[in-house]
Amino acid sequence: MADKRINTNINNTFLRKALKNFATAYPIARAKAFEGIDFAALRHRIAVSKLAGLQRLPELIAQFTASAEKSGAIVHFCRTPEDANRTIHAIIQSKNADFLVKSKAMTSEEIELNHYLEARGVRCLETDLGEWIIQLAGERPSHMVMPAIHKNKEEVAELFSAEIGQECPAEIPFLVEAARNALRRGFLSGQVGMSGANVAMADSGAMAILTNEGNARLVTTLPKTHIALIGVEKIVPSLDEALDIIDVLPKNATGQKLTSYLSFIKGPTVGDDRELHIVLLDNGRTDLAANPDFQAALQCVKCGACANVCPIYEIVGGHVFGHIYVGGIGLVLTPFFHGFDKAEEILKLCIGCRKCNEVCAAEIDIEGLIVDLRDKIRKPFGQKFMFGTMMKNRKLFHTALRAAYLAQKPFQSACGRIRHLPLILNRETANRSLPPIAEIPFRDLILKRKVLPAPAKAEKVLFYSGCLADFVYPEMCSDTVESLEKLGYSVAFPQEQSCCGIPARYSGEMDVAREMAKLNIDVLLKEEADFVVTICPTCTMSITHDFVKLLADDPLYAERSKRLAAKTLNYSELAARKIPPSPPLSKGGETAKQVVTYHDACHLKRGCGVFEEPRQVLRELANAEIQEMSDCDKCCGFGGSYSIKYPEISQEVLKNKLANINETGVGILAVDCPGCKLQIEGGLEASGSKVRVEHTATLVRERME
Amino acid sequence: MNETTVEKFRVAAQMIGAEVHSCGSGLGTANATGRHFSTSNELSFFLQELAAGRSICASTLPEELQAHLSGLVVSDLSTAADATLCISFADAGIAATGSILVQLTDPAERAATALATKHAVFLRTSSIVPTLRDLSASLKAQLLGAGPTYFSITTGPSRTADIERVLTIGVHGPKELHILLLEGE
Ligand code: SF4
Ligand code: SF4
Repeated sequence: MADKRINTNINNTFLRKALKNFATAYPIARAKAFEGIDFAALRHRIAVSKLAGLQRLPELIAQFTASAEKSGAIVHFCRTPEDANRTIHAIIQSKNADFLVKSKAMTSEEIELNHYLEARGVRCLETDLGEWIIQLAGERPSHMVMPAIHKNKEEVAELFSAEIGQECPAEIPFLVEAARNALRRGFLSGQVGMSGANVAMADSGAMAILTNEGNARLVTTLPKTHIALIGVEKIVPSLDEALDIIDVLPKNATGQKLTSYLSFIKGPTVGDDRELHIVLLDNGRTDLAANPDFQAALQCVKCGACANVCPIYEIVGGHVFGHIYVGGIGLVLTPFFHGFDKAEEILKLCIGCRKCNEVCAAEIDIEGLIVDLRDKIRKPFGQKFMFGTMMKNRKLFHTALRAAYLAQKPFQSACGRIRHLPLILNRETANRSLPPIAEIPFRDLILKRKVLPAPAKAEKVLFYSGCLADFVYPEMCSDTVESLEKLGYSVAFPQEQSCCGIPARYSGEMDVAREMAKLNIDVLLKEEADFVVTICPTCTMSITHDFVKLLADDPLYAERSKRLAAKTLNYSELAARKIPPSPPLSKGGETAKQVVTYHDACHLKRGCGVFEEPRQVLRELANAEIQEMSDCDKCCGFGGSYSIKYPEISQEVLKNKLANINETGVGILAVDCPGCKLQIEGGLEASGSKVRVEHTATLVRERME
Repeated sequence: MNETTVEKFRVAAQMIGAEVHSCGSGLGTANATGRHFSTSNELSFFLQELAAGRSICASTLPEELQAHLSGLVVSDLSTAADATLCISFADAGIAATGSILVQLTDPAERAATALATKHAVFLRTSSIVPTLRDLSASLKAQLLGAGPTYFSITTGPSRTADIERVLTIGVHGPKELHILLLEGE
């Protein structure tokens, strides 16, 4: 089912084009909107104040309720969607009304209010243009801020023609005018109005609403009864905190400095028996706010930016990537608002690139929450055996990988790469070829290597290669060792090292991940060393962040994991310490500069915060000139087992990357990740491109000859 | 008020699609865009033009402004649904975003500013502040005061990008926003 929808959406050309155009335009508009503003400081303030508020949410709710009631509003606290639906229906009935005009409220989608009311004879009219379009189409929003981004003007014209009973041409100004006129009648005849709110203030009992169209003002004004449906997490202490949210919202949502209308409403405004009902929706929020592991999810201010930058959302759209709430945070909120059964499939769709974290207006570790949630919904599935039994046993795992070397032989092409895999696995090789598993892994190669005498005061480095490099790219590992030695380090490779456990963690097998962490910590701390170096950013991130997090409560390993994390570096960080190298790397004087373009691995840039050092190393140690590609830090679509689970999505993400690489016209792509190399090299090869993909370590080593 | 703040306001408001005009002797000369009215007659004539023969409604304006507009036929707010032009008065302007702060606690004024096709707003240059934050003390006082309140910070005309993300002006609210700058206190 999900698979079918994924493919339908990948093949929906309009949707793809719309999302791609938006993905291109958004970062530019966003950057402009934030000009002169310290985004990091702003979002940090929001994160801190939201978290503090969540930790005393019941108190804030009580304070808001008291203030709002003092201003004359009637406040209803509703624990469940059923409660909220029933309450709203009762208010409408008490006015003898059967027609509700609405401005945008995600909470109303959350409780499926329209459905509830229409079944009871109350007509609902969405007046936000995007919401009206999807209401007419009988669909769900595919984006929190731009609900109808998946509809083109022809579809809209068709929907409007049917609704208005008059032929509408597919011209946007005409359609907007037609909506203005049709909805105007609705505003004037609506008996009860409903809005959401972007933020609510406990000290005054006021709410603030941001819109561009002006419909919220009409909905909260023309009908004498106004119902505001507000999620309780929207309550902040006062205007000060609200202003930060108002500051960030439009900029992060659509790259606007401010929306056309920002309304502050406190109490029912006087005269002619006006009523303001505030329906506070809980639906799991107070429980979630009290859950230390996941409470951060409620810091969300619903700007939608996490969807705007998500490479997977860009490919499949919001109807696949989320449930009611879409994008990265949609994946996180769905299990809490709509049940774990609704979330199981969609949680797997995240590739783990952490692009969302970078832009989140509330500084939420969205990707981290997604990974942690997988643990919660973990059910026995196929990989269980693999992770549970095999991975914990290093010898068994490594034997299996060696056996795979023999098994793959029949599928290799003349050049040694794998173009077609048998049976179900062949989706995997449709648009990219795969490198074979090496005949001799690095762990065996290094045993045969002559150990050079290290300089007397050389700093000692333990090399943690990661499985992919060890078994698929042994030469990348050799390049690492050789270049580091040349830079003056003494390098050793502990044979007992094993998989960092990330595949287990990403599949929700936290116990296995913990075991793997301990095993590697023991191995890497056993030998005295100044540094541990990795060439796989996922391993680096795993050691420096995940091990520490996984073992935070372990009496013995909490300290050990921190000690290991403190001395673990990625190759480029370690190499950059030796700039300028003495003695110089190459003997033969100046060689010609080579032009390269650089792809930032997700886990290196956003997992470890490293993006300057690789460029320095390329310039200073590999004599390269860097010609940047557009979106150099956007995911390549690999994501480890992701590319096997969702090959169609993975390959679409890859296509975007290949296009950006080709656009530079450069012959060498430098990467710092064996996974990115595997993915991109495979894609380039399958498309007939001659661009070489090399790890920075290889480019440095080449320069030394 | 500081000359550059007013200039910033003007630029920001125009950038977001509002039209900025000036009333009074010393204003607007530096700026080529927008109209400049030095007499009540010129101003009335302009507003009449905006209304294009349809009705004009206005919210309660300060007395001296009412005097300015004595030449205009202004109908009751309740007719706003049919009015082309709504005239009102802003409490403050925000230079960073070209926004205006409008008090809308009266539901009739609220409806009028949202229903009319065009919205003309008087704004004293002395009430323009650099950023939204500079208004926070007075907004707070208003929010914490007794009784209900409703105010809006309006930035340019009504807009939407809900169809194919193409920016289109005037979906529900006014299609034109005219800001009439008044010199002095
Ligand atoms: S980590 Fe990447 S793939 Fe996952 S939700 Fe965030 S942006 Fe999307
Ligand atoms: S999670 Fe962050 S980026 Fe996503 S909608 Fe919420 S605040 Fe915005």
